Amino acid sequence: MSDDIILDIQNVTKRFPGVTALDNVSIQIRRGEIHGLCGENGAGKSTLMKILSGVYPFGTYEGSIIYEGKELNLGVGAIRQARDEGIAIVYQELTLVPHMTVGENVYLGKEPVERGTIDWSKLYADTRDILAKYRLEVTPQAIVRHLGVGKMQMVEIAKALSENAKILILDEPTSALTESEINKLMEILENLRSHGVTCIYITHKLDEFFRITDSVTILRDGKTVTTQPTRQLTQEKLVSYMVGREMKERFPRSQRRPGEVMFEVTDLQAVDPDETSRKVLDGVSFNLRRGEILGIAGLMGSGRTELVTTIFGEYGKITGGTIKLEGRELSITGARDAMHKGISLVPEDRKGQGLVLMQSILKNISLANLDQFSGFMRIDGDAELVAATRQAKALAVKAPNLEARVESLSGGNQQKVVIAKWLLSNPKILIMDDPTRGIDVGAKYEIYKLMNDLAERGVSIIMISSELEEVLGMSDRVMVMHEGRSTRTLDIAEANQERIMALATGIADELVPA
Amino acid sequence: MAVSTNVNAPKPASGLGAELGRRFRSNIQTYTIILALVAIWILFAVLTNGAFFSAQNVSNLFRQMTVTSFLAIGMVFVIVTGNIDLSVGKLAGFVSVVAAYFQANVWYQMIPDQPLLAAILSIIIGVGVGVLFGVLQGYIIAYLNVPAFIVTLGGMFVLNGLILLVTQGKTIPANQPYFSEIAQGYLPPLAGWIIAGIVVAFLFWNMFRSRRSRARHGFELPNLALELVTTIFFSLLVIGYVYWVNQYRGIQTPVLLLAITAIIMAYVSNNTRFGRYAYAIGGNREAARLSGINIRRSIFLIFILMGLLSGIAGIVLASYVGYGTTAAGQGYELDAIASAILGGTSTLGGVGTVFGALIGSLIMSSLTTGLQMLNVAPAWQYLVKGGVLVLAVYADVYFKRNR
Repeated sequence: MSDDIILDIQNVTKRFPGVTALDNVSIQIRRGEIHGLCGENGAGKSTLMKILSGVYPFGTYEGSIIYEGKELNLGVGAIRQARDEGIAIVYQELTLVPHMTVGENVYLGKEPVERGTIDWSKLYADTRDILAKYRLEVTPQAIVRHLGVGKMQMVEIAKALSENAKILILDEPTSALTESEINKLMEILENLRSHGVTCIYITHKLDEFFRITDSVTILRDGKTVTTQPTRQLTQEKLVSYMVGREMKERFPRSQRRPGEVMFEVTDLQAVDPDETSRKVLDGVSFNLRRGEILGIAGLMGSGRTELVTTIFGEYGKITGGTIKLEGRELSITGARDAMHKGISLVPEDRKGQGLVLMQSILKNISLANLDQFSGFMRIDGDAELVAATRQAKALAVKAPNLEARVESLSGGNQQKVVIAKWLLSNPKILIMDDPTRGIDVGAKYEIYKLMNDLAERGVSIIMISSELEEVLGMSDRVMVMHEGRSTRTLDIAEANQERIMALATGIADELVPA
Repeated sequence: MAVSTNVNAPKPASGLGAELGRRFRSNIQTYTIILALVAIWILFAVLTNGAFFSAQNVSNLFRQMTVTSFLAIGMVFVIVTGNIDLSVGKLAGFVSVVAAYFQANVWYQMIPDQPLLAAILSIIIGVGVGVLFGVLQGYIIAYLNVPAFIVTLGGMFVLNGLILLVTQGKTIPANQPYFSEIAQGYLPPLAGWIIAGIVVAFLFWNMFRSRRSRARHGFELPNLALELVTTIFFSLLVIGYVYWVNQYRGIQTPVLLLAITAIIMAYVSNNTRFGRYAYAIGGNREAARLSGINIRRSIFLIFILMGLLSGIAGIVLASYVGYGTTAAGQGYELDAIASAILGGTSTLGGVGTVFGALIGSLIMSSLTTGLQMLNVAPAWQYLVKGGVLVLAVYADVYFKRNR
């Protein structure tokens, strides 16, 4: 390890309409080190990675990035170019072709060719050499589909290295790995370091920084907080750097008194319906009172979304535990059933799960509740229009008229349409999965006000959020999840960012006496 | 019905011209395809010295489009949900030979002197066969999770075999009285005028009813002049059509059947849960699922509907040709798919209209008729049709990108 800087990110700022994702970020990465990148969801890590990999080309951001002594100048559509320059990303979602062999995947798009045909022996020999050099224990001829996630990751790494990557970016590589696979990965990374490969290592699991990295940069709200050698850090320090900010007056607070317990989940256990050996919920318990906002905090992969979609009857196969609504035990068979019983879900992915983008605002709002307006056959268009207009007005959806397609609306307005849709059935329990993700501050504020209004009117709200500020600003109580379990439910008075982060990262024992 | 609270929203330009312009831009696809149709008609009219627009030719042109139009209407629903049905041509063909078989062999012995009853029974059996096959394919697709492409491809082979079994390789006559009226009959001119009168009255009544209802609920009313112009335009279209076909032999029975079916299905597509769910499933399956829509049931019903329409198409086909043959319905599925796509149905699902499919079907049959009148060899007819299809979809892609 030397003081030779391979990548010097200088004052990089990246703006999106209404959001500054990166604000004057500077990071120096030395050749041959493993550099950790740490921050909450939304702190700007992935935006930064997208700039380095050419998803956002040169010129779409301010500031400069000096790579190997030269300005990194990636053109439009330059993902390929970034790879050629020697910057490779191993993504969270693996990007392999499952039906092909390891060798085919490693050399996909750059197969060795001999007189117009692929030279298979060379391809497999080269693959074998790369795998051996970095001690990746995979067979070149194995079909990728048959490998475990850990081995797939090795193939991804081999693929990046086969392109002579000088910088390897690992984006949450361990999120789907078992403990022994993680150990194996750590060995591989150490071996890479000994071969002089530079790594940028992103993770939510704080202990991994201490196991493998040489230095860590902490990002918060799109700004660099600090870069420090790992040996000078502790987990407590990391957490305080991640969350250490003042609470701004961004959350309208309402006077409300939650009433009796409406909804109660006890020791809920569930498995992935497509892969019943995989547990997604491993003991979740909480209750929800009338007119209360319960925040659910937890890192990605902690099972938050799986929890609410399982309650809604649309995801996990329940293997144990009970769900009670107003004292009666429920078994919910699916979305329609949940709605009939008074539960609505504003799903996590607005575009993918909430809206039919090419359709009008009107049709999107009424979709889940057409039975309100129709008899045996016919939909009463007037009644539908009246109800949708009332909803759109109540949520202040900004659009020329209800015939406008939702794809033409801003993110905040799209989200209002989704909420309008799910309020049309007058739910008792409204579940909102990350309701303000990717929308601007003004629209967020309107959604917060709406949530307060609903709570005052007696609707009970479960809000998942990746933003700790939001959880603390809006909730009456906060339930924290870690690895499919509910760790603790904190009263808002005893909750703070450090405690939540500690519970969410699984270091509860040291920071929060149970 | 402005719900705008956005102070920065551009103030809409007023006036008929501006409104027309806005409407054109928002429905560019529909207008493009109509313009294409008009362009094709003018081209053929010039090339044939006006013979293309003769009353007899117009009458035949519309009559010819009916069989594939029934299929194209159903195909819109199938493609909108993100599926495909390759079996519809052969299904219509099979229904036509079954109907012909009963007409020629069964009723002749069972109820020899009752041609009307025989025709009705043939229709019931034919449509029933279509529905049953739709139930079978729909069940396999929706509940057994076999892709529609595969199921209907298999269905195509099966139906081909069934056609050969029923016909024994021979041609079966189906030109009995009453039965041939279905596709070959004409309405007397007076009946045509009465229908035109009813349609025009309905258009105006519907326009004012919808304005009244909007006013009652306090919504902003659309430009009255524009609505009037639109309604008058469609009224003239109907009156003009009836006038013209009355110059020949009157409104064609199958065209009337098609018009009724199209109106019902257009209504279903927009004003029933069944129709809305189809669009939602094709537009975003995940959002539809989380909205509590029973996706399996919807797709099952769509294929039953497709079977029903194939059954109707098969009856019209048998009556139109006058016999059932081994080649009945050959390739109609491709015409139906092409019509739907020409009419703006997206192969990705979620988008498409019954009206568009009819225009698409009219373009296909205009090309056939026009090219035949010009004595263009069949080989070139296929080349032209294929080119037009790809060109039309490219034009659509191009306009969307540059909107």
